[in-house]
Amino acid sequence: MKFNFRVSPNYRSPLSTQRIMTELTIGIALVLAYSVFFYFTKFGTDYGLHALLMISTALGTAVGVEVLWALFYKKNIWRHLNTSFPWVTALLYVGMMGVNKPLYVIFIGSFIAIFIGKLVFGGFGHNIFNPAGVGRAVSVLSFGGFITNKFADVITGATPNQLMEKVGWVITDPKLATEFLDQFGGLWSMATGWYAGGLGETNTLLILAVGLYLGFRKIIDWRVPVVFLGSLFAFASILALIKGMGIWYPMFHLLTGGAMFGAIFMLTDPVTSPTSIPGRIIFAFGVAFLTFIIRVKGSLPEGVIRSILFMNMMTPLIDTALDGWTFEKTKKYAMTLATVFVLGFAGATAFGVQANYIAPVVETEPEVVINLKGEPLVVLAEAVSPTAFIVSETAEGDVTTIVVNINGYAFQSDHDDDPQPNTLEVKVNTATQTVESVAYVTFSDSPNIGDKTNSDVFLSQFAGLSIVDETASVDVVSGATVTSTSVIRAVRAAIAAALD
Amino acid sequence: MSFLTGPGREHLNGHKEETLHNEIVRVKPKKEVFVPLNNGSATKVDVYVNEGDKVFVGTLLARRNDHFNVPIYSPVSGVVGAKKNMMHSVLKPQEHLIIEDDGKYEKVESFKPLDYTVASREELVNFMMEAGIVGCGGAGFPSYLKYKNPVDINTLIINAVECEPYITSDYRFTKESLEDMLVGVRALLKMSTAPKAIIAIKKSKKEMCEQLEAVLKDDPSLSVFKTPDVYPMGWERTLVYEYCKKRYNRLPSEIGIIVNNVTTAIAFARALQYGEGIVEKVVTFSGDGLKTPTNVRVPFGTKVSEIVAQIGGYSSEDVMVIAGGPMMGKTIPTDEFVITNYSNAITILKNVKVEPMECMRCGRCNDACPAGLLPVRINNAEKMKDSDWMQKLRADQCIECGLCTYVCPSKIDVTEGVRRAKRVLALRKG
Repeated sequence: MKFNFRVSPNYRSPLSTQRIMTELTIGIALVLAYSVFFYFTKFGTDYGLHALLMISTALGTAVGVEVLWALFYKKNIWRHLNTSFPWVTALLYVGMMGVNKPLYVIFIGSFIAIFIGKLVFGGFGHNIFNPAGVGRAVSVLSFGGFITNKFADVITGATPNQLMEKVGWVITDPKLATEFLDQFGGLWSMATGWYAGGLGETNTLLILAVGLYLGFRKIIDWRVPVVFLGSLFAFASILALIKGMGIWYPMFHLLTGGAMFGAIFMLTDPVTSPTSIPGRIIFAFGVAFLTFIIRVKGSLPEGVIRSILFMNMMTPLIDTALDGWTFEKTKKYAMTLATVFVLGFAGATAFGVQANYIAPVVETEPEVVINLKGEPLVVLAEAVSPTAFIVSETAEGDVTTIVVNINGYAFQSDHDDDPQPNTLEVKVNTATQTVESVAYVTFSDSPNIGDKTNSDVFLSQFAGLSIVDETASVDVVSGATVTSTSVIRAVRAAIAAALD
Repeated sequence: MSFLTGPGREHLNGHKEETLHNEIVRVKPKKEVFVPLNNGSATKVDVYVNEGDKVFVGTLLARRNDHFNVPIYSPVSGVVGAKKNMMHSVLKPQEHLIIEDDGKYEKVESFKPLDYTVASREELVNFMMEAGIVGCGGAGFPSYLKYKNPVDINTLIINAVECEPYITSDYRFTKESLEDMLVGVRALLKMSTAPKAIIAIKKSKKEMCEQLEAVLKDDPSLSVFKTPDVYPMGWERTLVYEYCKKRYNRLPSEIGIIVNNVTTAIAFARALQYGEGIVEKVVTFSGDGLKTPTNVRVPFGTKVSEIVAQIGGYSSEDVMVIAGGPMMGKTIPTDEFVITNYSNAITILKNVKVEPMECMRCGRCNDACPAGLLPVRINNAEKMKDSDWMQKLRADQCIECGLCTYVCPSKIDVTEGVRRAKRVLALRKG
């Protein structure tokens, strides 16, 4: 018989950290699976595959880094992984990235999330910042513009929040509001995630369902998402009331920018949020407040992750401030919360009233005025330029049609890496010994400069021009001297060819 | 304000069905009993018998004689033997008095019975002291102290909650001694000066609730109070808070309440009616480490090893023997220790390896703590050896109910950290 000794109690809840993380993983995986399905269905196989590759890259990198870490510190690899849960971080991280991100950005982001975000602090349980949030922040700040060209067409900066940012987060005209929401198929389509955005962030309703399950199972503390979403909704409602916007406005705040994803999966990360209930409430309220003012008055479209990272930093402070015997401190807790809430709502209102609708700048086509310079250039003054290349010459009665390639302005400027010649069609009447017409066949020259020559004002001067009078001249276009000259060279070459 | 402080309780899987419906089995010591010469942590005991004396069941053997007065009566008849130092359920070796059991169980009246209906309040309190009635909830606190100077008492709470997993001894004992219990409760009610008594029991014990309601329906001063099936509902403070939503500083009498365990009431009734002190105990032997979990009735002083052998033995070669329930009971690294006159359970569990991992700061322990403490913070303070911080967190208020360790998903011994902090604070106070 062996009689063991162990300190009491010797009775344990069946709920383990491993099971908490497993249920969380399944929740996030569901959300991501829906997203992959969406990309396969709406944008096709290429997008769906890319989404899958992004998820695999994030997972592979995260697990790989942890395995190397375990090897380096000579730990049991399986035990290390089973107490470190890199896959949760990886899935959360990739869930916040858009499908147009190249895989190397995902690799770097996932690496930073695990290594800088977690391991250097001492691993699971010791990190100060939400690791997935760190990965996402670095990816967006350092590689925000790095997108896979192949997928650039679908979602280049078209997230609802980025467009909302452009109009100053206020749309008072109901008609404009409807138009704005219709870009994404209306509120319902936004709630079901039927638009492109962060891989896991778009399907608000699915995330909400997962959140309800996790809250019911006590995997996450229900207070955190409730306080966060409730406060964000309240702040937006205040602004909506002040500015006279409808219920769609606070709903828009909840449905976009990863608010729901952040509420269910990111804010509830136990490691980086306070340990006491009043602490968690202050934490969630703080994130809602910062998210709201970053969105409405900040220079960035989305504030959830940045706010979470900021409040992560406040966590030790909140914990210390609330230390004590809760039976003695219940009143103090209530007072503290009341103060925080009053200040928060006052602040949010003060910031909110400053927000105003910014009318989008309508891009009017600038009117191009083509002026002739008033400096006549004699057409036959010089010898035929070697850059002029006769493409074809066809005679039909007295009229000979000559197609000429000529190097335009693009060959002189360094704006164009691969300049192409312009092609002109010149008609010469050999009987009357005059030019009948000059016209562009293809124009490949620098836009806004050379194309001024592609106008009647300039080209009509050539009609009736004598092909034998060596003093006949045309005026060059003001601001397009080089191209005008090139056209004259082409005509000169055509005349020479016609007379040949 | 549980919205801000957490529920401070948790439903546990009680494993009570293993012994709940089986009758109490009488078990006798093999050859000798070992009477512990202590009462809780107190060891100052006057012994009145000498080696070789013939004693009967009920003979006064000894008396705790410091600032409390608790007599100890012989649990068996036989011959007094030597004193022996051996392991005790407080997890320290204690002095025990050996009595050779002659197996006859000849009884003597320890004291004259008393009719509580005619006796005065003071007589009853003195009688309780003489009878050596100690709190049978597990702590062994002398009960008469609660009734010495009652001031403005409005309720007597009879605690039949029994919230520790596995334990059913109160339940079985009450079920089989309903008449005695009623006598005890009425006597206690008289002593308490309160107008009414409530018997607190978990509402999940439906059969017992109905039985009690039927018995009490003719007496307007007695009623049943059904509590939720959560742990630690049987802790005095949690129970009082559940009943009147009030908290108190040191003793429930501050807010007009006296709490006594139901088994104490029965023991008191037996003393009043038959002139017998606590000489035998109903003890739950349960847990997955036993082949047949059973409630046993034994003379106190009987060795655990003898009882286990008589009820079918261990189911595993690798076990933990816990004096009490699995939550608050201490693990004793041997089965060579005895049932005391306040024991209510021995839990024997198979030894399952527990692998703790890093704390993820989830705060479940904070939410669960029935004493309103922040165990995760206390553990941090304890790791930092910062006694000012431990004081600020009031680690001294911990009752070691074990709920923080129970809920910890990372399987950390949270309670042990708080216990260490508590010790640091106790030493600091000097």
